Amino acid sequence: MGLIAVQIGTMRQTEEQLLSTRLEKAAASTRKMKIVIVCGNALAVLILLAAGFVINQETSRRNLAEQNLKQSNEQLARRTAELSETNVELESFAYSVAHDLRAPLRHIAGYSNVLVQDYGPRLDTEGLRCLGKIEEGANKMGRLVDDLLARSKIGRQRLAIQNTPLDSLLAQVLADLAPDCVGREVEWHIEKLFSAECDPGLMKQVFANLLSNAVKYSGKRLHAVIRVGQTQQKGERVFFVRDNGVGFEMQYVGKLFGVFQRLHKARDFEGSGVGLAIVQRIIRKHGGQIWAEAALDQGATFFFTIGSPENHASKRAELPLAMEEIHVP
Amino acid sequence: MSHEIEILLVEDSVEDAELTIRALRHNNIVNEIRVVEDGAEALDFLFCRGMYKDRSFAHPPKLVLLDLKLPRVGGMDVLRAIRADDRTRVIPVVVLTSSKEEKDLIDGYMLGVNAYAQKPVNFENFSETVRQIGMFWILVNQAPPPGAFAPSTTPGASTNLARGPVVISRVTGRMHNGNE
Repeated sequence: MGLIAVQIGTMRQTEEQLLSTRLEKAAASTRKMKIVIVCGNALAVLILLAAGFVINQETSRRNLAEQNLKQSNEQLARRTAELSETNVELESFAYSVAHDLRAPLRHIAGYSNVLVQDYGPRLDTEGLRCLGKIEEGANKMGRLVDDLLARSKIGRQRLAIQNTPLDSLLAQVLADLAPDCVGREVEWHIEKLFSAECDPGLMKQVFANLLSNAVKYSGKRLHAVIRVGQTQQKGERVFFVRDNGVGFEMQYVGKLFGVFQRLHKARDFEGSGVGLAIVQRIIRKHGGQIWAEAALDQGATFFFTIGSPENHASKRAELPLAMEEIHVP
Repeated sequence: MSHEIEILLVEDSVEDAELTIRALRHNNIVNEIRVVEDGAEALDFLFCRGMYKDRSFAHPPKLVLLDLKLPRVGGMDVLRAIRADDRTRVIPVVVLTSSKEEKDLIDGYMLGVNAYAQKPVNFENFSETVRQIGMFWILVNQAPPPGAFAPSTTPGASTNLARGPVVISRVTGRMHNGNE
């Protein structure tokens, strides 16, 4: 019995020991768990904080970028407005200068003429020749001024885009050119051009200037051949005017469309050097492009596109209203 | 004065006036010409006031040659005043100017100008332009009968215009049948 009691005692002891170690273990494990939970939470909070920080950082960076973009846009808009204002000012300045130059020129030409009429008999040949040069110079400058005014007018003019039958436009231009071709052998090849969306008055001037150039620069040919037609390039309709005249050297092609730029001596071919500048201005206003190919003594070809109606619309929007209101009495 | 003024030349440039008169004379247009140098004097002349108070509405000029860029009262205002008053409405007015700005052309015609010409730089062209204007308006055109529009025959005529440039801006609304 005593043995059983001892054994029971031992078992109890062992059990108690086991219980206490298990309790201890459980307590330790609970502590660990708590630590893990606390640590995990802390980590989660940290991660959240970090994420919040990063997001915040990113947002402010984006805001800053957005602000910068907005500022740049505003700046760009301001610059554009300034530029277009300067353009209008320049245009109107050029216009009034050219306009006001006409009066003194008229007086120079007029009084030289009066001098010749009233005092001509008292002047010798050399005196008369000099007076003639003065009048000639004034008249020539008068023509230049008028051409400049015409070019400036196109810059300020609003496009009146409509569906234009180019063939009948061309027929009018050819009729107007007939007097220039009298006594000359000019062979015309006119292809069918159909119609285009453009300003008919201005487009007529394009054809008039290009064709009269073709007639003029083929003037030294016994048999002039002038061809007007259209081709396709990169899916776009390209018009061309080709002559077999004197042409020009391609190295000077950059000067071709500049104001007062001439590639031939005035003695050989009369002109103010504004015609092609006007043509280029009209084509660009339509949103089109113009270029030329030539070789000296082998004729020249002028190519141009008219552009699309969308281009016209954007160009028209660019024209500030003030431009239409410039007025010099 | 022995002759009534038949051409009123409103021109502030002495040179242009001289060249214009010369061109007229050279083309045998010998009618009496008066040059006035600004719009205010032109209005004094036409409305018989100020230094022209001895003039009579019964003898209007056969032609007014009008420049647009004028000191004091501009050419358009002169034209507006001429067309707004029954006593001067019928006087032929031809604008002869440097400008062929679309706006000026439209304004001129809206105000009832009879013709509009640009002064060419080239003297031969200038002379020809002036000759044609003179020939037509002085020799070909039949002017309205003198005195037909004097105040006595048109009692309703407005007289307030003869008082100075202040009223000029008020008369725009009355611009009808001004082109005779």
